Amino acid sequence: MAVMPIERGKIREYAAATGASRAEYLDDPSAPIPPTFLATVVFWDNLSRVFDLPETRAGCAAIGVVPDVRRLLSLEQEYVFHGDILHAGETVTTQLGLDSVELKEGRSGSMALVHFTVSFTDTDGRLRAECYYTSAFLNPIGGGE
Amino acid sequence: MTASSVGVQPGQTFPPRKFGPISMTDVVRYQGASGDLNPMHHDDEMARAAGYPASFSVGMLGAGYLAAYCTELFGVRTVRRFRTRFRKVVYRGEVLTARAVVRGIRRSGDTACVELGLELVDSTGAVVVDGSAEFLAES
Repeated sequence: MAVMPIERGKIREYAAATGASRAEYLDDPSAPIPPTFLATVVFWDNLSRVFDLPETRAGCAAIGVVPDVRRLLSLEQEYVFHGDILHAGETVTTQLGLDSVELKEGRSGSMALVHFTVSFTDTDGRLRAECYYTSAFLNPIGGGE
Repeated sequence: MTASSVGVQPGQTFPPRKFGPISMTDVVRYQGASGDLNPMHHDDEMARAAGYPASFSVGMLGAGYLAAYCTELFGVRTVRRFRTRFRKVVYRGEVLTARAVVRGIRRSGDTACVELGLELVDSTGAVVVDGSAEFLAES
């Protein structure tokens, strides 16, 4: 859990870095966040701790995949927004949790797909956004080759 | 509510937008902005040691380009869902093209949601990031 301020300068920086030229992002003191802006949560919360959770380790062990962060790939991210889009000046609290671990057989061996969620709640206690992540641990041993 | 009352039709496409050629500056600017400082995206020596010809762009930079493209089309405050999958590694010098298609229009009560399919393709036409998004239609 972490407290994350939504900052105007960070929105302007992120918009410029992604080629987003809408004036609302660049010039509005209450700028709305770009759709993938909540990726910047990593400045406030260490998401990699999801891979150290006992349930993540147990889930990987159950399907015989070693959770080695050197063999970790990010496959997918999905953002869902509830109500008004978050904007500069707001503050949110994050919550990180594991959803599931599943085995996937690929061309280069087996991998563990780790599905986890970060939720963002505002100071009124309303859920405003969720980010669903899918990452994969590639299996160095006992793979399907 | 009809499809035309939300201003778009299923199957409709939009003018594409080009991004790049992707430079090291583009990559490090995104890494600084996002906080993802994985050296595989800016350290050529490390990337070569891992078997890549050079360091490569960040998947989320491509996702950010798709996000910029569709907020230009549909507005910045109406996004309700944005999903991306990383399909192919992108090296510096590549020019990427963003395109979108209306997959459907979902209605509930007085609101309508435009469902978009999104693709970012490289100069060979290969999809490097794909995804989908939903925007509330302007009422």
